Amino acid sequence: MGSVKIENMTKTFGDFTALHDINLDIEEGEFFALLGPSGCGKTTTMRCIAGFENPSSGSIYIGNREVEKIPANRRNCGMVFQSYALFPHMNVFENVAYSLNIKELNASNPIKQMGIYTRLLTRRFGKYPVELKNKVMEILKYVELENHADRLTSELSGGQQQRVALARALVMEPAVLLMDEPLSNLDQKLRHSMRNTIRSIQQDLGITTIFVTHDQEEAMSMADRVAVMDKGHIVQIGTPTDLYSNPSTPFIANFVGTSNILKGTVEGEESGFTIVKGEGFLLRSSNKAKKQEVDVIIRPEHVKVEAADSVIDHAHTNVIEGTVIMSTYLGSIVRYDVQVGSYQLIVDTTYSSGANIFEEGKKVKLTVDHERVLLI
Amino acid sequence: MNRIKNSFSGLTVVKVLIYAFFGLFMLLPLFSVFVVSFTGEPTNLLGSLTDPAIFNSTLEKFKNISMDNYKRIFSGAGYFYALKNSLVLAFTVTIIIILICIPLAYGIARTKMPFKKTISALCMIPLIVPTFISAYAFIIMFGRAGWVTQIYNALGGEGMLLNPYSMAGVVAVQVFFFFPYALWPLVAAFKVSDISLEEASQNLGAKNWFTFIFVTFPLALPGVISSALLIFTVSFSDFGSPIVLAPKELNLLVVEAYREISGFFNWGGAAILTVVMVIVAAFFFYLQHLFTKGKNYGSVSGKPKQQKLIENKLLTRVLSGYSLIVVLIPVLAMLSVALQSVATTWGKDLLPSGYTLNHYKTIFSTSMGNIQNSIMLATGALVLSVIVATFVSYFVVRQNSAKLDFVASIPLVVPGIAFGIALIQTFNTAPLQLTGTAVLLIIAYTIRRLPYMVRSTMGSMRAIKQDIEEAAVNLGATPLTAAITIVGPLMLPGIAAGSVLVFITVIKEASVSILLAPPEWAPMSLAIFQNILRAEYYSAAAMSVVLVALVLILQGIANLIGKKQRL
Repeated sequence: MGSVKIENMTKTFGDFTALHDINLDIEEGEFFALLGPSGCGKTTTMRCIAGFENPSSGSIYIGNREVEKIPANRRNCGMVFQSYALFPHMNVFENVAYSLNIKELNASNPIKQMGIYTRLLTRRFGKYPVELKNKVMEILKYVELENHADRLTSELSGGQQQRVALARALVMEPAVLLMDEPLSNLDQKLRHSMRNTIRSIQQDLGITTIFVTHDQEEAMSMADRVAVMDKGHIVQIGTPTDLYSNPSTPFIANFVGTSNILKGTVEGEESGFTIVKGEGFLLRSSNKAKKQEVDVIIRPEHVKVEAADSVIDHAHTNVIEGTVIMSTYLGSIVRYDVQVGSYQLIVDTTYSSGANIFEEGKKVKLTVDHERVLLI
Repeated sequence: MNRIKNSFSGLTVVKVLIYAFFGLFMLLPLFSVFVVSFTGEPTNLLGSLTDPAIFNSTLEKFKNISMDNYKRIFSGAGYFYALKNSLVLAFTVTIIIILICIPLAYGIARTKMPFKKTISALCMIPLIVPTFISAYAFIIMFGRAGWVTQIYNALGGEGMLLNPYSMAGVVAVQVFFFFPYALWPLVAAFKVSDISLEEASQNLGAKNWFTFIFVTFPLALPGVISSALLIFTVSFSDFGSPIVLAPKELNLLVVEAYREISGFFNWGGAAILTVVMVIVAAFFFYLQHLFTKGKNYGSVSGKPKQQKLIENKLLTRVLSGYSLIVVLIPVLAMLSVALQSVATTWGKDLLPSGYTLNHYKTIFSTSMGNIQNSIMLATGALVLSVIVATFVSYFVVRQNSAKLDFVASIPLVVPGIAFGIALIQTFNTAPLQLTGTAVLLIIAYTIRRLPYMVRSTMGSMRAIKQDIEEAAVNLGATPLTAAITIVGPLMLPGIAAGSVLVFITVIKEASVSILLAPPEWAPMSLAIFQNILRAEYYSAAAMSVVLVALVLILQGIANLIGKKQRL
């Protein structure tokens, strides 16, 4: 087990800088997600930790040990590949036993090594030492694949292949578990249950886990902390709730959940509220603005829709007038697209049966509480 | 490409050894040929490094360097015609073979066509037959007294259906006896391509033929292009069929080079012709490189896929019928040789005038040694080439070692005769006297046939995605251990396919054997060639039949071993 620390890491490929000055401090036993759109550098970061890439500058520490001089095969970072990378010529047992064979190989004299090579190449199931066999079966039991030990990996379903890949990484008792988009090859339903499986295994073993994903829902639901990356930079690090309620940039606000982002100008202060004016709206926010030109962030679920003729007390909430462009019924919620000035705001309202849905073209009043208007 | 930078000391040593092997046994002899093309007489470069006296005499020779040899040959019009004719021959053969092979390869790789196993098996036959034998077989069939000609005349045709003693004759022999070189790489290319891409195309509304032309074929294109390159150079440097069939007025580079050596001992002239051939072939290698670079066609990933074979009755039957016609012609040629081997005399009528087993008795009483020699030499070359080719593919595919790729492809462009001369000249004196030993013969065979092995292993290497290997490293294996335990076994089908090809081509190799084999190591092919030279056609035919039978048996054993493995 170990913590992972990255200091001032930069990675360039020729003229292209893939990573700019990355700093991470991941605690022992933490479930940490690297989240970002494709090409943001999250996979490169992971590959640097695993030792498949060498950082151009900066250092990586695993369990307080600088790993620059340690080759990939001695870093003890179990990795679950996006494609699983199961050995197609080996069965489930042999795939999982691979790292144990290698460990034994490295600890043996040349004559015994020949024996292990023979075992690896002829792949005789029965010739494994009992201890090794038990260890493999134990981990297979843990991922509920003990009945599939002698199957070829091509005969397994996607979810089973995923669990073989996980078992293969876990059996070596890695200091850190690395997972590269582990759920992207699974269907929706399986993804949901695998999410829980992975999370509970991680909690159970208390293993430091770094998890690369482009899916914010995946990152938010599984990780203790999330680092959001964009264009080779880390934009923000925080707990899921942190990122959601206090996004540091419009990019995060939009990437982590859905946001309405409006351009506004600070007009002044009035009884503790900041007054922001933009095209077609005037809003009060309990946020303090750090600059004159701000981005106004409003989450769709923080907006309420009222009929145009309803009377609302302006003192306690913001009121904006707009026109419904589209309404979409999504089961438990109704999503409205509302034209406000030159903006189209997305508004999610919870739907209870029998309630009135505003039709397209209808004038409405939108209300947002002062503390729900974020200024960045 | 992503490189695993640390800890490849073990692999680095292997890489150095492989470069040393190529340097000593291929580059140095070829450089010698280059030097000789200027000095006009043999030069002991290796000796110059160890012995000052030889060094001084080499210096003397260098002082006599002149362009005289080049001028003399460039002024002779015969040389230009030889180059032109060789190019026309190679182009024609390449285009015809690729066109013939595409449907055949598709049928074998992707359909359940009837007689598929028979067709695949029959496709091996052309590979077994040395080209001078196949050329001779075409004379038996299409010559003035050939049985095809007799049938053609009986049906009302005049003269010969195909004059074997012509450019067309050489083209026909090469097409029908070289097509398997292109076929197997094409089959492999069709097999590895991702079927879901084709299904995607069909799903988007494309008809089958449209999918084939715009999806399946482009995906197989790297295979098609490298096959075309292979055929071009094989045809360009083939020696057997031109030496038997080319009439006096049809000059071809290889024949010209052979005449310069064996007829006139003109080392300088032969050397120049070799240099020209290497330049031409290098140009085509560059073209191939241009076509295929920058495309990632890795198709076997850690996420396994199942491939479905086409069962459409009309399509499979048409493909099967077509394939049978293509493979039947070499089979008929070989049957003609077989018939000749048991004939007392044959030529006046459609069938031989009588039958006898005497030719075989002669062979088994006097030529057993040749058979043993062939097997031992081929086994030696096979083992050596498996080792070298596996590592070469690894360095080329995984470390993008284009230099090694080029070096390992050089043998393709060097005609056997020229390579033989280069080796003799380099190793016939101290410090490394190997001429006349089986070792040099095995090394020569290995280097000559290595490109086939490398192409075969490289194909399966490319199909193994990098992350499978990275997974092994991640699990604690050193890159060398990963290569042995993961990459090696996954490459087995490619290695097995390449091995069969190497073994067969070595057994039928003639040009290197003619120059390098000492009498006590004379293989079967040399014995056959000598029989043809001595006009002992019937014993040549009998020996050819034995050779073919031997290879068929070995092929059967290889198939049995292949079936026992899970892959």
